[in-house]
Amino acid sequence: MKIAVAGKGGAGKTTVSGTIARGLAQAGHPVLALDADANPMLGVSLGVGAEQTDLLLAVRQGLETGEVEHEPTIEGMVERFGADAPDGVRLVVASRLEVANPGCQCCGVSPDQLLRELEDGERTVVCDLEAGVSTIVRMEPGNADVVLVVANPTGKALEVARRAVEIASDKAEVIVLANRVRDDSDLELMRAVLGDRELIVIPEDPVIAAADRDGLAPIDLDPGSPGVAALVQLADRLAGAPVPA
Amino acid sequence: MGKGGAGKSVIAGTMARLMARRGTRVLALDSDPLPGLSLSLGSGPEPAEPLLGNAAEQDENGHWGWKRGVGPVRAVQRYATDAPDGVRLVQIGKPSREGFGPIIGSSKAFYEVVHHIADAKALRGWTFVGDLPAGPRQAAYDWAPYAHTYVVVAQPTAQSALTARRVARIVRMHRGDAQLVFIANRVSEKADVDHVEQLIGEPVFASLPADDGVAAAERLGVAPIDHAPDSPAITAIERLVSALAKL
Repeated sequence: MKIAVAGKGGAGKTTVSGTIARGLAQAGHPVLALDADANPMLGVSLGVGAEQTDLLLAVRQGLETGEVEHEPTIEGMVERFGADAPDGVRLVVASRLEVANPGCQCCGVSPDQLLRELEDGERTVVCDLEAGVSTIVRMEPGNADVVLVVANPTGKALEVARRAVEIASDKAEVIVLANRVRDDSDLELMRAVLGDRELIVIPEDPVIAAADRDGLAPIDLDPGSPGVAALVQLADRLAGAPVPA
Repeated sequence: MGKGGAGKSVIAGTMARLMARRGTRVLALDSDPLPGLSLSLGSGPEPAEPLLGNAAEQDENGHWGWKRGVGPVRAVQRYATDAPDGVRLVQIGKPSREGFGPIIGSSKAFYEVVHHIADAKALRGWTFVGDLPAGPRQAAYDWAPYAHTYVVVAQPTAQSALTARRVARIVRMHRGDAQLVFIANRVSEKADVDHVEQLIGEPVFASLPADDGVAAAERLGVAPIDHAPDSPAITAIERLVSALAKL
């Protein structure tokens, strides 16, 4: 199964991606966490630390300066541009590069191509997309089974989420996450923009805020906190869902 | 510049308005394909078809160029929109369900505009305030070559500060001649500023307080300067404008 995570920058895409990846792995699923954000941060919320996350980006960018050899296959990329994160999650940094060899699998590949060409097999692929809607605009039906759209109760984040839902709906199953919800008025504000479709509510959570501050994985800080628990529950639901043919 | 959600648009929009109130002619440049600057400026949601697209056309070979009689300066004069306090706003456009197709023309025109405004006689004396897309990629050299000063915004979180560090590295690599300042945003206490400085590894130029008035404006998708004009964050941005003017 392939799960792509979209939303406005700062909406919580990376926290959602990292926590769901860890939740799936803790439930025994093999997980590939794919960081397709041009500003890759997935390592931070997976729990490999900020410095290690920056190091992975540096290896990736070594392609641009010629310090790192190109990699002809996507599976090779998984080996070469990745690191092992806790719970056996395999993290791969596949962010777009400035100077790419056209046609080269490891650097010329765009996030939507990568999603398309990567074989999920037994793995669950969780892909943290670039902020905004550019990748889902380019995506084709079947590139991902599920698109998680992360929304916040702010005007801008809701507008991005509304567009993302509209764009992704023809291409995959879309699940909308109402993230950082404090009370019913937050939910009402979100429903006013997103309509009465199902919203997975991820409550505002001081544990996630504390993890964000220090660059830790929320699931390591307190797996039972309300926001983390809601994400783990969503992971269970995704794992249980039949994979569309 | 900065991570998504760090507060780029609020700071850019409010700075533009405050500068305009001081009598500066301000051109606000929105190069983010996501909604943001126009809401924070108080000029409402943007039109579905970006006006700047009217300045460009494709020839029979599919190459984009200016329409007859239009160039970067004329395009700004004709297709910038009015925001409050006399600010003029140019937007790159936002992709829709139809994809990037409808905004190719405006994107090409926008790219030409940002590369020519700094040298344009007709725009001498203007101040340009650009709101750049989230993250470090491209933004520095490609989409804001007009900039003398890069304002890098970070809130007190690891990802935000790490992004600021990455942005700074890229700006210095490509625009070593430009000034670069860090802003700590949504600061509740002194420890937050220390946290940002420690994560970035450099001092911040100014800090802006966490502010319920700004948060309320963001929630509603309106301009903080209109919704909460006397709030501490707006006052702090006013001081920031003065401090930047002295650089």
